[in-house]
Amino acid sequence: MSNEWIVQMKNIEKSFNRVPVLKKVSLQVDKGEIHALLGENGAGKSTLMNILGGIHQADAGSIAIDGEEVTMTTPKVSQELGISFIHQELNVVGDLRIYENMFLGSELRNKFGFVKEDEMCRQTEDILAKLGVTLNPRGYVRDLDTSYKQLIEISRALLHRSRLIIMDEPTTALAEHEVERLFNFMAKLRETGVSIIYISHKLKEIEAICDRYTVLRDGEWVGTGSLEGTELDQITNMMVGRSVSEERFVQDHAFGETVLEVKDLSCEGAFSPVNFSVRKGQVIGFTGLEGDGRTELIETLFGYRKKSTGSIKINGKSVKIKHPKHALKAGLGLVPKDRKENAIIKDLNVIHNLTLSSMGHFEKTGFIQEKREKSRFSFYRDKLNIKLHNPTVTIDKLSGGNQQKVVIAKWLEVGPDVLIFDNPTQGIDVGAKREVYQHIIDLAKEGKAIIILSSEAPEIMKVCHYIHVMYQGEITAGINGEDATEDLIMSYATGSKREVGEGGKYRNAAKAKQ
Amino acid sequence: MQPKQNNRQESSGFKEKLSWLWSDYSVIIAFLIIFIAASFMSPRFLDLNNQMNILMQVSIIGIIALGMTVVMLSGGIDLSVGSVLALVGVIAVIALNATGSIIAAVLTAFIVGSFAGLLNGLMVAKGRIASFIATLGMMAAARSIALYIANGGSISGEVSGFSAIANSEFFMIDYPIIIFIIMTVFVYLLMHKTRFGRYVYAIGSNEKAAMLSGIRVDRVKIGVYSLTGLLVSVAATIETSRLNSISSSSSGASYELDAIAAVIIGGTRMTGGRGKIIGTFFGVLILGILNNMMNLMNVSPHLQGFVKGLIIIIAVVFQKRE
Repeated sequence: MSNEWIVQMKNIEKSFNRVPVLKKVSLQVDKGEIHALLGENGAGKSTLMNILGGIHQADAGSIAIDGEEVTMTTPKVSQELGISFIHQELNVVGDLRIYENMFLGSELRNKFGFVKEDEMCRQTEDILAKLGVTLNPRGYVRDLDTSYKQLIEISRALLHRSRLIIMDEPTTALAEHEVERLFNFMAKLRETGVSIIYISHKLKEIEAICDRYTVLRDGEWVGTGSLEGTELDQITNMMVGRSVSEERFVQDHAFGETVLEVKDLSCEGAFSPVNFSVRKGQVIGFTGLEGDGRTELIETLFGYRKKSTGSIKINGKSVKIKHPKHALKAGLGLVPKDRKENAIIKDLNVIHNLTLSSMGHFEKTGFIQEKREKSRFSFYRDKLNIKLHNPTVTIDKLSGGNQQKVVIAKWLEVGPDVLIFDNPTQGIDVGAKREVYQHIIDLAKEGKAIIILSSEAPEIMKVCHYIHVMYQGEITAGINGEDATEDLIMSYATGSKREVGEGGKYRNAAKAKQ
Repeated sequence: MQPKQNNRQESSGFKEKLSWLWSDYSVIIAFLIIFIAASFMSPRFLDLNNQMNILMQVSIIGIIALGMTVVMLSGGIDLSVGSVLALVGVIAVIALNATGSIIAAVLTAFIVGSFAGLLNGLMVAKGRIASFIATLGMMAAARSIALYIANGGSISGEVSGFSAIANSEFFMIDYPIIIFIIMTVFVYLLMHKTRFGRYVYAIGSNEKAAMLSGIRVDRVKIGVYSLTGLLVSVAATIETSRLNSISSSSSGASYELDAIAAVIIGGTRMTGGRGKIIGTFFGVLILGILNNMMNLMNVSPHLQGFVKGLIIIIAVVFQKRE
């Protein structure tokens, strides 16, 4: 027990479907430290933590806890070894009381089989006191702030005598003052000798609370070090890497007149007032990290969410958009993210998915002309290179890339002036990604105005003429496509930097509202 | 980073074709099996009069089940159909006796039925009340109003021609059967050949995606419930005309269960988005044949519900396996 460290993972390897996700990654966490685990989306952080939590098994490598080598076969084994995993989505039951949540699955019972309520409440109070809070253990969890819900999860970990707590982006759902509260809890935990692995994108937070860091990139270990005396820029560089200079897809060409003009658009609780415009043939991008509000922004623009303030002009005319139908009529098209939930109708066949938004094109005296639908489908099948044998199968039988092409074709048939793509390459393979972006560029060349949303900075840089970076519901920077670098985008997206002029203005507006 | 597991290409293997045939036409296969079994079990079953009798008996539930199918395809349910049938019948008879005009009575029926459906639709689409709750409320309220108007009893028509609607024949085929078939064709065309039908399927399958595709989900839903109300009023007109009277307490009782049973047997998914009008048509016939068989074989009427329940559960178990 004389070791300084609590957990040591050595040369961990893991692949899914023969695609390596982790390549000889090592991680060591000391007793009583808060260790930041950093990396971009897809760097392998979650996989590594899932291995430590017993959810996945490593293909190779070793894990040692307190100097003893262990094998994590199930989440239960991991928990018994003193490791708790607090996921991004909180795992508490709102309709149960605080003490009931704490003891869920391990209730204390007397010899008649009834639960010992008072005893459980007493223990709950003790643990909460350790973290410096007093809450009524009989209160309902649904009435608590999100940060307190996280506290309940942390307390539960302590109840199970956890010595290492993994927290996966715990601040995503928290307001600023709640983040501070969470950090206080974490500091208290550190004093009691508990270690924490802290996963986050937000470098500011990491600087504020963490002791050491480990950076992963593309499934490889890049570096470990103490945060003291390390510049944030240095860490950003490590996360992004230097070998990402790929050719830009988009070429500069002359733009036409302004098509879409958005002024002071806001939606309370999701994003502060934003301004932007797109011109014919222009591709603009929105990027940022989880919780930056860009999807909400587009959903509001498209009439899916109710706007709080702002006005929208399309081709110089003011338009009122209160429903996606109005947006469609006004000349907007949206290829949403999370295809399965938002874009495809899995029980309809491929052709019917294609024609869903433009039924009017296929009607004759009220009846749908299926022949016309088929011939339009053939047209788009050739144009977008959609690969399938039989267009009358339901759309969920297609691969992700082909599904996405059908969704794009659906909007091309509508013929909007502005086409919005939210995370257009989500869940599709590399080849199809390239194709999708090529199609987008071609559309811009044909004179469409294009808006792309993506969390992947390299993609955004490749295809956009102009990039808006968002951070917690504000546009923190506008960068010309050719001037953009990943480092620059990352520093605005993590909130470690903001443009003085515009950014400041938005921030004040947001503050004034509160 | 998520591992991509289901990156499989679409394949058109023989096995898939077979399963497609089964999932699309299983209700017709089941119908044929039951039909053949019934003809062996009772010699009187194949009698033309008996066949007509079955069709006649199912026509009212059949018309209601068509509406129920549309509602269930949209992802909802309508429990109020039986009570609304009674209410429509009562008001139609009052209108008939007051005006002496059959046309006025039928029109009144249509208006009352559609209006009740419209209210259901508004509650579901605009009020965002779960369809089960909204139509449960309508079920209680409509029955209560019918009882109040008719003072708890039955009321009879006093215009001689009214009962001809349900009791006339056209080349040996009773009018209700013809109306049922016409309604089936009408709803089939509506659901499979028009924009409205396409939207209903889309909403039942994925409401958010349908909305983001620019579909006015609320309006389509209001249309769905109003259509069902209209079909109920057609059924109510037949029901009232058949005996030239309507009972405010017992008419339409538990019709919603029979209609839902027919829809389920017909292969429509409870959660919406998948199912066929033709399936419901055969689902209704299956229920009719079972009832008829049990009567012919002198099964106690008290046991008939048991058999019906069993069939529904078997049907759903088979569909689950897909």
